Amino acid sequence: MPKHYRPAGKKKEGNAAKYMTRSQAIKYLQVSLSLFRKLCILKGVFPRVPKKKVKGNHHTYYHVKDIAFLKHEPLVEKFRDMRTYDRKVKKAESKKNRDLAERLLTRKPTYTLDRLIRERYPKFIDALRDLDDCLSMVHLFAALPAIEREKIEVKRVHNCRRLSHEWQAYISRCHKLRKVFISVKGIYYQAEVEGQKVTWLTPHALQQVLPDDVDYKVMLTFLEFYETLLAFVNFKIYNSINVKYPPILDPRLEALAADLYALSRYFDANSKAPMVSSQDAALSESNQVKDKNNDAELHESELRLAQLQHQLPSNEPGALMRLVEDAAGEDEDDEETKECKTLFKDMKFFLSREVPRESLLFVIPAFGGVVSWEGEGSPYKETDQGITYQIVDRPTQGHKFFTREYVQPQWVFDCINARIILPTEDYMVGRVPPPHLSPFVVYDPEDHVPEYAETIKRLQAAARQEVLPMPGVVGVEDLENPQNLLDEAIIDRTEAIEVAKRKEKLLKLQKQHLDELNKEVKGEQLAVESDASDKKPVDTGFIAADSEQAIKDAADITMVGVSRKKRELYKAMQIGNERKKAKTQLLKERKRLLDEAKKSNT
Amino acid sequence: MKAPKSKQESKSKEKEPQQHVVEEEDPVVSDSDDEDWSVEEGSEGSLSDSGLENSDFTDNKEDLTTSDDAVSLDDEDDDDDVGQDSQSESGESHQGVEESDSSEDEAAPRNTIGDVPLKWYEDEEHIGYDISGKKLKKKEKQDKLESFLERADLKNWRKIYDEYNDEEVEITPKEAKIIRRLLKGKAPHAEFDPHAPYVDWFAWDGAKHPMSNAPEPKRRFIESKWEHKKIVKLIRAIRNGYIKFDKPKEEPKVYNLWGDDQTEKAGGLAYIPAPKPQLPGHEESYNPSLEFIPTQEELDAYQLEFEEDRPKFIPKRFLSLRSVPAYEKAVKETFDRCLDLYLCPRARKKRINIDPESLKPKLPSRKDLRPYPSTCYLEYRGHKGPVMSISTDPSGQWIASGSSDGTVRIWEIDTGRCLKIWELDESVNFVAWNPSLELPILAVAVGADVYLLNAGLGREEQHKIEELLRVEKPEAPAPDESSKGAPTVIWTEDEKQKGIRLKHIKTVTSVEWHRKGDYFSSVMPSDILVIESRAISVHQLSKKFTQRIPFKLHGLPVSTAFHPSRSFFFISTKMTVRVYDLLKHELVKKLETGLRNVSSIAIHPGGDNVLVGSREGKLCWFDMDLSSQPYKILRCHKKDITSVAYHRTYPLFASCSDDGTAYVFHGMVYSDLNQNPLIVPLEILRGHHSSNGRGVMDCKFHPRQPWLFTAGADSVIKLFCH
Repeated sequence: MPKHYRPAGKKKEGNAAKYMTRSQAIKYLQVSLSLFRKLCILKGVFPRVPKKKVKGNHHTYYHVKDIAFLKHEPLVEKFRDMRTYDRKVKKAESKKNRDLAERLLTRKPTYTLDRLIRERYPKFIDALRDLDDCLSMVHLFAALPAIEREKIEVKRVHNCRRLSHEWQAYISRCHKLRKVFISVKGIYYQAEVEGQKVTWLTPHALQQVLPDDVDYKVMLTFLEFYETLLAFVNFKIYNSINVKYPPILDPRLEALAADLYALSRYFDANSKAPMVSSQDAALSESNQVKDKNNDAELHESELRLAQLQHQLPSNEPGALMRLVEDAAGEDEDDEETKECKTLFKDMKFFLSREVPRESLLFVIPAFGGVVSWEGEGSPYKETDQGITYQIVDRPTQGHKFFTREYVQPQWVFDCINARIILPTEDYMVGRVPPPHLSPFVVYDPEDHVPEYAETIKRLQAAARQEVLPMPGVVGVEDLENPQNLLDEAIIDRTEAIEVAKRKEKLLKLQKQHLDELNKEVKGEQLAVESDASDKKPVDTGFIAADSEQAIKDAADITMVGVSRKKRELYKAMQIGNERKKAKTQLLKERKRLLDEAKKSNT
Repeated sequence: MKAPKSKQESKSKEKEPQQHVVEEEDPVVSDSDDEDWSVEEGSEGSLSDSGLENSDFTDNKEDLTTSDDAVSLDDEDDDDDVGQDSQSESGESHQGVEESDSSEDEAAPRNTIGDVPLKWYEDEEHIGYDISGKKLKKKEKQDKLESFLERADLKNWRKIYDEYNDEEVEITPKEAKIIRRLLKGKAPHAEFDPHAPYVDWFAWDGAKHPMSNAPEPKRRFIESKWEHKKIVKLIRAIRNGYIKFDKPKEEPKVYNLWGDDQTEKAGGLAYIPAPKPQLPGHEESYNPSLEFIPTQEELDAYQLEFEEDRPKFIPKRFLSLRSVPAYEKAVKETFDRCLDLYLCPRARKKRINIDPESLKPKLPSRKDLRPYPSTCYLEYRGHKGPVMSISTDPSGQWIASGSSDGTVRIWEIDTGRCLKIWELDESVNFVAWNPSLELPILAVAVGADVYLLNAGLGREEQHKIEELLRVEKPEAPAPDESSKGAPTVIWTEDEKQKGIRLKHIKTVTSVEWHRKGDYFSSVMPSDILVIESRAISVHQLSKKFTQRIPFKLHGLPVSTAFHPSRSFFFISTKMTVRVYDLLKHELVKKLETGLRNVSSIAIHPGGDNVLVGSREGKLCWFDMDLSSQPYKILRCHKKDITSVAYHRTYPLFASCSDDGTAYVFHGMVYSDLNQNPLIVPLEILRGHHSSNGRGVMDCKFHPRQPWLFTAGADSVIKLFCH
């Protein structure tokens, strides 16, 4: 009798009955592999790990219930219909019946995914939770060139761009943005919507490389779902702030476009709507400037709006924003939103040509700033006297206004992450800015903390008007120092370095002291022991068996009675900790070497 | 062919496809050739096209065809005409083609018969009539011979008889030329260019008036009958809904999907959300701190590593934002993420984000479990070889030790003074004090012998002990016993050591006393023994009597133990421990250790718990009331456990191993049956050096104090106190 003999009439049990391999699933569903993939992507079905892999280790297993879930999906039937319809068209074409083929093509059956979205995300909050990948993908495709060969259509790229702008407009308008980080891969944004942290990555606004070893079909299937999802999410969030969605395509507004008064009345009528739309228009307009070549038609209406905005007085957007903000109930804003809203309050920014405009146009209003740019349709010109900061990213600045400060774009991002207005000295034109630090890092006590992070921390404390205990020995200058900080809210960098060093030294001293104390305690014990045993000549060398051994023993002995599983886990964790420690150590070592090199240079 | 042909016939012949001619080059030869000329007829069509007078020339041809016979009759006039014509043509050879045409037009045909077949006049003298009604006479027929001769004359080859006009015609060189061209399928005149560019002379546009000024007729606007029928059919189809019209394409509608936000349960299995992508750290910054950037040496070191070991992301620093290039792996990474999302199996795993210290069991503080031996207090030195075994005196004053150097020593515990030394010939395997206080007797296993030695302690008991340690002269072995085979043990009195010597047949490894001090057992774990039950024998001191255990052994015996209060006997083999009832002669319990190589056992003074040490370094605690499986397995030692021991009064137990350590545990057994024993590891005792791969050989607790003695392979005995 074989080992896995099952008598006739007895049903399968256990993992064999619960899971099926992919090929079994395909056979069962009677679909092709590509269609199966598509279904899995759209329905969010993923393989599972059975406890026992009945068919072998190299198979992918799906849960039987998942497959049954796919089986009852109406989309399967729809896809089948579409396939037969395609065959019809093909037949007509091969018979040179072009009329029929064209007629058939116009009536091609389509499908919608809204039901699927509702099914996968029964609550709005679920959708928000899963939005990270969606946003990153949509933003990436918004930056991709349309390629016929890979079936990346212009229409879809535009749709992605529109959706991403809508999302950004909402985040910016409602001041939901929390963290920004410029990485080599692109710019990371983190927003907090309905208590959910949503993080997404936008690529740098440059020509993207399209590698060959990528199956765009799969990506486009994902994109198809994500586009629909984001559209519905956008609708929901726009709805939540009483703004009509989609925001631009209002023919009435277009008709009103000629009359400024009528427009302002329209603004008054539904106070929030125009703000968002104009912002959105501004965003897309900036976009247009960048690539006028392909999306002139699509953004026609937006362009009209932007022109309209252009006709407004220079300070109109700011005034409007204030008006809208007054109208919007501040009572529902939490503490953080308020803080974000007022970070760039009463500041006027102007963007030079070479800075990443799209990003800054999104970010600065999100933190309460007013921003304009060089180019057509900008709310105000470079010569505006009210501008407080001009953001430039060039080696030298020719003409300079004395009423404003010229800073590199990194300053804006660092300010946002630190939630304070940082001193601009280090970010001046032509200088190498201080390191840009990730706001996503959470420091453990033993982690390596970059120097600039310490500086920022101190500045934050100063801004909060707290007296941070200064490191080093308490002296007169240290007592004075916080006062200085309060006065200037600025700390010199060299000073900061010094301070950090002093702190380090103190820590070292403390540790040394502690060690000594420990040693003393142990030494006493040892001494007592030796006192007791001095009747007989005793191998003192052995008695003084290193205290390290004792510590290790103490650690070991508790693990004696523990089960093997836990012991292995403990060991693995120890290894992990060691690795982490090694990494930190490496960073510290590099830092030390750098400091030494610097010292020897000066 | 001979018969004269009418014009119609000739015309019908025109439509014949042209035939290819080979011998037409030579006109002289071809002259007499019939076929040759018949071919010429075929080319008439092209001749007429070229603008020459059609009928005349055909006639000429026909003449040519029938020239051999020259029989046919024809009109005179015509004949003349052709003659004239040919003459004029020859005369005006320098003139254009058109002029020759016009000259031909002038000459009227001489024939007056009209369009009637020549056949009708075949047999007549005349051919037609002139204007006054007189018959026109045919030309006089030549004699056949004459005509032949005439034809044979080469000079006359140009002459052709025109039957229709009834005359002789001479072909001019020009005409011959034309004929030759026609035969080649060319245009008759060399000047004519058949491929001249087409000139459209008609002015199509700019016409002031339409070609037809009639109004568009009504019928052009009205369907025909059949069309009407078709339309009616379509209308009916539309009305009945057989034909559907395209609706304007709708954009997918966006609406408030989560409007009411009712809690609809997701279909299918529980959704496991995909893990979010890792958030970037400092090193991914476009301008990270300098310490995050690897040095050149490190970068080179990466190159030496395997590709999969190399870091996936190497930090880079850009001095300004404008110099940051597009990330080349952006699409690829997104694609990989997509693959992860739909291809990676997902499972919920508990995130082990705990402090590793929390994995350690919550044990009561060691301070509360004091006293226990923790520090080395005394060392007993004197042995020359590894101390194999030690045993404490029940009074707690003395300790005996046996070493492989062949000596057994007694030490005073408090002072470390060596009280007594026995020199034995072989290495000592085991020493054991008699547990009764009155009998300070030492059982020593040396090689294949067990010695019972008088420790020489206590004044009052000396006499009794000497009595006890006297054996009568060994009687001659009983004949019945010899027949069975040699007895395993022979009791003899040893004069030298002043004790009893029990001769065994094999090496004795351990000796265990019964609690009352009368019985003791010895183990000979030699695998050559045929009868395994011989390996363990129980001796009675008072009767000097040895008996084998009445049980079958399962596997090689390792050690034995007596139950501290009941008549149970523990025998441990390599895999299991069996508990026998000595009174009832039956197996009480079998303890499954799960170990492969048991080295020692110890019984808790309460009698319900057993400690088993193994050569794998594992320590098993059995609660015999609970189960026959180990209650707890402690993996403490890295090498063989050589010995385990319970303290008689304190809740302590210890194990020692070849790795040079001894572990001390707190092992509390509660009288309440519901409460499981509490086991707490307390201390690792170090200090013995390993020699020859062996570490601590034996450990024993002090009978009253929480002290532990350890015997090391480094020939030192240590006392650990609290």
